[in-house]
Amino acid sequence: MEKTKWLEKAAQAILDADEAAAQDIAEKSLAAGMDPLEMINEGFAAGIRKMGDLFDRGEVFLPGLVVASDAMMAAVKILEQALPKDKQDQKMGVIVIGTVEGDIHDIGKGIIVTMLSVHGYEVHDLGRDVPIENFVTKAKEVNADVVGSSAMMTTTQLGQKKLEEALKAAGLRNKVITMVGGAVATDHWAKRIGADFYGESPQDTLEKLKERLN
Amino acid sequence: MGKIMTRMGDGFPVEMSENQLRGDLAAGTEDAADRGKISPLSKEELQYLFDIFNSPYRFVSTEPGKEVVLSYDAAPIKLMRAAVNVHRIQSLQIHEKLLGADTIELGHIDYSFKPVKPIVGTEQTVLEQTLLVTHAPLFYGAMPNLGLYRQPDGPFPNPSELMQLGKIDEARQSYEMAVEDAVKDIVYVSSAMYDSGADGINMDTTGAAGDADFLAGLKAAEILKQKYPDICIELGMAGEFVLGLHGELTYHGDRLAGMYAHDQVKMAEKAGVTIFGPVVNSKSSRSCPWNLSRAITFIKACCEVANIPIHVNMGMGVGGVPMTAHPPVDITSRASKAMVELCRLDGL
Repeated sequence: MEKTKWLEKAAQAILDADEAAAQDIAEKSLAAGMDPLEMINEGFAAGIRKMGDLFDRGEVFLPGLVVASDAMMAAVKILEQALPKDKQDQKMGVIVIGTVEGDIHDIGKGIIVTMLSVHGYEVHDLGRDVPIENFVTKAKEVNADVVGSSAMMTTTQLGQKKLEEALKAAGLRNKVITMVGGAVATDHWAKRIGADFYGESPQDTLEKLKERLN
Repeated sequence: MGKIMTRMGDGFPVEMSENQLRGDLAAGTEDAADRGKISPLSKEELQYLFDIFNSPYRFVSTEPGKEVVLSYDAAPIKLMRAAVNVHRIQSLQIHEKLLGADTIELGHIDYSFKPVKPIVGTEQTVLEQTLLVTHAPLFYGAMPNLGLYRQPDGPFPNPSELMQLGKIDEARQSYEMAVEDAVKDIVYVSSAMYDSGADGINMDTTGAAGDADFLAGLKAAEILKQKYPDICIELGMAGEFVLGLHGELTYHGDRLAGMYAHDQVKMAEKAGVTIFGPVVNSKSSRSCPWNLSRAITFIKACCEVANIPIHVNMGMGVGGVPMTAHPPVDITSRASKAMVELCRLDGL
């Protein structure tokens, strides 16, 4: 089978959220001499990226994403065994995320946490109404690559600015990427407070994150 | 060729060439048509939008005779949010007598049905006092807000946390239990306020917690309509499509997740809703012409199939209006004029 066909079949197994098919394709593609890293990044991950795009459009729903993620993880587990030891169990990045103190809205943040996990990031979700110092403590503890904060209201979004200041004071600001989200956040707000970027939607966040971590 | 002054979706001023403006208007309608599987705006409609954006005036308006009803949701809260120190009743008087509101709405600062339930007696008193000093139809409004029914705010396991653990069935059960409790609270509070003289009930920001939230609004509307056949129920949405956080909830056999405004309104009609308030979110990283063209495409499709009045949500971050705390009048007036004239709206 041609390389493109293997990659297409891998992506389709994820779009079908078919764990058995994903495992079967992973095993057979290895036997056929396909590069496992290429199968992960351009096959199965392409499928999950498409699922994310469909979620953004209201054509796929959160439970479907979770099932597709399970299918992807099952395939990746097989493919990883064929990778050199230093490439195994590599995470896309370590993320600490939460809704800032005073804000109890966590539905949007919950969606992005699921999306980030589905895409292979190690996510530490601090929950909602999270004191700023907890973001800093957790980022240190897990050696985070990214610190994300959510705020739903104009009255609480100042917490995102305080987080930037707290990360600077702790000497972490140059070591982590910061991202902000929530109904009232904008690109301009991110620039104004010194955050690295604003994630407008789950897909937008994933694209910007990938760009900055590469 | 002159530059046209407009704004980005976060309110920042930007200049565009005529070609850039036409390009963004075309791209906006195409995005909506593609997502909603609906018709894009015609060349004439895009030209009409171009002319509105190209107007040299800061403020534009509809022609005399094309005005629509101007209603406000959460009005008493908005003046307080702008640091204007007035009581709720005075705020509603200001909206009615100074700001041109055709309907007014009393709401509590928590603006959710659940926290109002234990204090409904005091809310009834404020409503009765408001009725004595205002003339416009008075709604009582709040959000279904299913977020308040999950732990730690409510009794049911947090479905976001369950979903992250892959416990899909448990998460779905939690949403379903929350719907039942929310419906009871909405019906209880709405009945009390209607019995006290409210002219209508506004369920605002419905669907904010996904398809279960939308279902709660629809079920509550259905019960209220059976209980009070003459009640006016306005159902306002939270976003342009219903987020599928449960994914399998149905109403009269139709799956709610993923519904855009033109499908949402049919559900609202089945539930007995009197006025439907669709929402299209503004993208802060895209231009206002792109956002407005896109919003009008969605709303026009909704108006074309609707058999009940449509009062579209226009304001901070919705309806083509930028995401800023104080939406600028140049874009808000352009968006309002275009929305009213191209969609044949009943109200804003």
